[in-house]
Amino acid sequence: MFAYLKFELRRMFREPRLLVLTVAMPVILFLAITPTVKGANPAETDDIHAYLMVAWAAYGALLGTFSSGVGVSQERTVGWLRQLRITPLPPVQVVVAKAIACSLVAIPAVLVVSVVGMLKGVDFGVGQLGELALFMWLGSIPFALIGLAVGFLLPANLAQPASFLVSFTLAFAGGIFIPTESLPKAMQNVVHYTPSYRFTQAGYDVLQKHTQSATGWLIIAAWFVIFGACAALAYRRTAATR
Amino acid sequence: MTEALKLTGVVKTFGAVRAVDGIDLSIAPGETVALLGPNGAGKSTAINMLLGLLEPTSGTVEVFGQSPTQAVRSGRVGAMLQEAGFVANATVRELIDLARAVYPRPLPTDEILAAADLTEIAGRRIDKLSGGQSQRARFAFALAGNPDLLMLDEPTSAMDVKARQEFWAAMRAYAAGGKTVLFATHYLEEADDFADRVIVVANGRIIADGTGNEIKKVVGGRTLSFDLEGGAADGLDRMPGVTVVEVRNDRAVLRTDDSDATVRALVTSGRAFGNLEIVSAGLEEAFLALTETAQEA
Repeated sequence: MFAYLKFELRRMFREPRLLVLTVAMPVILFLAITPTVKGANPAETDDIHAYLMVAWAAYGALLGTFSSGVGVSQERTVGWLRQLRITPLPPVQVVVAKAIACSLVAIPAVLVVSVVGMLKGVDFGVGQLGELALFMWLGSIPFALIGLAVGFLLPANLAQPASFLVSFTLAFAGGIFIPTESLPKAMQNVVHYTPSYRFTQAGYDVLQKHTQSATGWLIIAAWFVIFGACAALAYRRTAATR
Repeated sequence: MTEALKLTGVVKTFGAVRAVDGIDLSIAPGETVALLGPNGAGKSTAINMLLGLLEPTSGTVEVFGQSPTQAVRSGRVGAMLQEAGFVANATVRELIDLARAVYPRPLPTDEILAAADLTEIAGRRIDKLSGGQSQRARFAFALAGNPDLLMLDEPTSAMDVKARQEFWAAMRAYAAGGKTVLFATHYLEEADDFADRVIVVANGRIIADGTGNEIKKVVGGRTLSFDLEGGAADGLDRMPGVTVVEVRNDRAVLRTDDSDATVRALVTSGRAFGNLEIVSAGLEEAFLALTETAQEA
């Protein structure tokens, strides 16, 4: 499996466009939006900017891992998955290696957005930066898995609109576009069980130097299991449909 | 001894279509066998079942006495499929290294590169290869694990004549090491030149199974037809070269593997005949003839 992981990572490194996009998008959003947002006083403005930094870092991680998962659709179309399936490499290892490779896309996005934020005056320590990168990486594994499930199931032309829908819903539930506090109470209750909400909360916990929420990570772990099962089932289906 | 391949009463249906319609077949280790048939004959479906990519609707498929999936997992099988392909952003060598890493007893890299004639372009990116080169890369990927059984589905489809010859030379060298090779093709010459045994498949059934020469007699050859002009058809089947005789509306249709000898015999026999026609039988046509024969039998 490590040989396959190495093979995948090397390929990813050779095709840095996806990586650049996942980094560029949140950085641009951060740089474009933060100057327009002001609090009641300078201290509050700094607070808001720090929040926005974490929110966009989380968004970059979410979108990057998810879309690289969906990218597997292309590999299926060219017959690569079929080729792998007729080697001794067990299917579960293919899914696991792929999920690891895709989840690693989270790290550069988080690091670059945070460093840009820090250069722009956000009060964020190097220790926090490391912690944020670690938690955003772990927390985005479920997004890589659901991305893989979409990629295994849908042809490339359908995968794109479907992935927009899924990633938008996830980002919305995570409170990245609109703070979840401003949602109706009933919706808030639902949102609190989503992986992306818990994911961004984990980021805010790092920012506020709170201990990580056990409930939050349990919910993320549950989604890891659910999305992992989706990806595994979807991969099994690809055997019959190429 | 355990058979390399064994299919017993295998049927595969896709909705109303019976892609494989009752195949019984066993292949011993070390045999080089061609599955010959027109497109849509069920060759690819059979190979996909032998690889565990498809489950038979009924019947059993065994590879080295195991289920196809077990045989694939244990690294005894290598395959080159029509619908399989490689991803971009990797070099030929990286791809071969990957194959070597996942098989338990791989061949040395240099040997693989040499066998598939890829040594010169080992560092080239997969997406920059020509059709023939990428086909050879797929061959290299299939044999990298030194599998006991190699399955090739239309392996030369993207190759020109020269590439084709080189490919078969490499394949023959591999088979000479005691390996079992099963390849699907719709070229009779390919089947005849490179296989010890040719299995003809049409409409999901095996309609002939024998050496290349035996098959060529039936599948190759020419069709000779003439009006009987009221005469009897007796004895036509005993004329030299004739393999099949059919009479339709006072017209005799003979399949012959030596049309010159047949014509000579016809002329000297003193029979009445008119509107003599000799056409070389296309493979498709030959398949049809064979299928009809098989159904009559």
